[in-house]
Amino acid sequence: MSAERFEAFLAKIYVDEASRERFLADPRGEAAKAGLSDQEIEALEKIDRAGLILTARSLLNKRRRPVKK
Amino acid sequence: MKFKESLKNTARDRVGLGWRRELAVGILSNLDRIDVVEVIADDLFNAPRDERRALRTLSAQTKVVLHGVSLGLASSAPVDVKLLEKTARLCEAVEPEYWSEHLAFVRGGGVEIGHLTAPPRTDDTIEGAAANLERARAVVGAAPLVENIATLIDPPGSDYDEIDWINRIIDSSDGDLLLDLHNLHANATNFGYDSIDFLKRLPAERIVAAHLAGGKWVEALGERRLLDDHLHDVPDPVYWLLTELAALTPHPLTVILERDGAYPPIEILLRQLDRAREAVAEGRSRQFEQIDQEAA
Repeated sequence: MSAERFEAFLAKIYVDEASRERFLADPRGEAAKAGLSDQEIEALEKIDRAGLILTARSLLNKRRRPVKK
Repeated sequence: MKFKESLKNTARDRVGLGWRRELAVGILSNLDRIDVVEVIADDLFNAPRDERRALRTLSAQTKVVLHGVSLGLASSAPVDVKLLEKTARLCEAVEPEYWSEHLAFVRGGGVEIGHLTAPPRTDDTIEGAAANLERARAVVGAAPLVENIATLIDPPGSDYDEIDWINRIIDSSDGDLLLDLHNLHANATNFGYDSIDFLKRLPAERIVAAHLAGGKWVEALGERRLLDDHLHDVPDPVYWLLTELAALTPHPLTVILERDGAYPPIEILLRQLDRAREAVAEGRSRQFEQIDQEAA
């Protein structure tokens, strides 16, 4: 179940700007609030921040146009 | 579901193009230069009857394969059976040679991401992907080819690197691999690994298809990464990887060029198909030379 919760958390910070901003301001606090495990919280504290920003930007652009992959 | 023929028994390497409405006239006018057409399954789930009929007509004129983008197979969560049933009905109607999907997660906790993202590379997603591939095989009647995806983020919470994660999923399922060479090139560029080494560590006998595409550089926080956007021409390193792949894999390859926008004249895309054919031929030639040397 925790794995699904972790994926759900990632999905949210990838697509929801407000959630992402809160997370980037306080990764540990937001991850703990979501009920993630200590190991998952540690992983999120070390998140690839540039990658997160670029992923979010790319997803936003792709949602604006029909894209195949 | 009955596929037209077993993919590994196809007589020769083939090169084709992704079907897009904007390219329809160009594709239909040049079927003598396009061996196979890849259709996005999700575009047809709710398509009007005449569009499905047009696809059946296309299927009668050329080889057609189906490509899914929304199942989200590489997730610890179970795949949506309704989407699998739609895929199954489409496969029944179109009778593609194969169908394919990505090793990606596209939703979580009720949030639709809307596109392909890399899940944490863990035992949970390996087991989840294996279970989802088995569900897909059971509902559709054949396992999909699975495709590696491009990612701009090093997936947080990962215990495996990409190659080990992919290999473990392939080991635990029936599905063969559709290797996206631009995704491989982009990830290798972005995360500092050797794309040829990655290719050589995949099970060559399980690779039966390849995707080609292009992309562009993007930047954040002073870091530059290569984005796979399908809006640019195929760069040289992707052709070089195609040659390497053709030198390695024992099975005939189905190679598809993907283009999703900023469409150039069809002749430009056809020239990229020609170049892909040359790249495959060069790889095959190397493979045959090696076989001859070993036999001598």
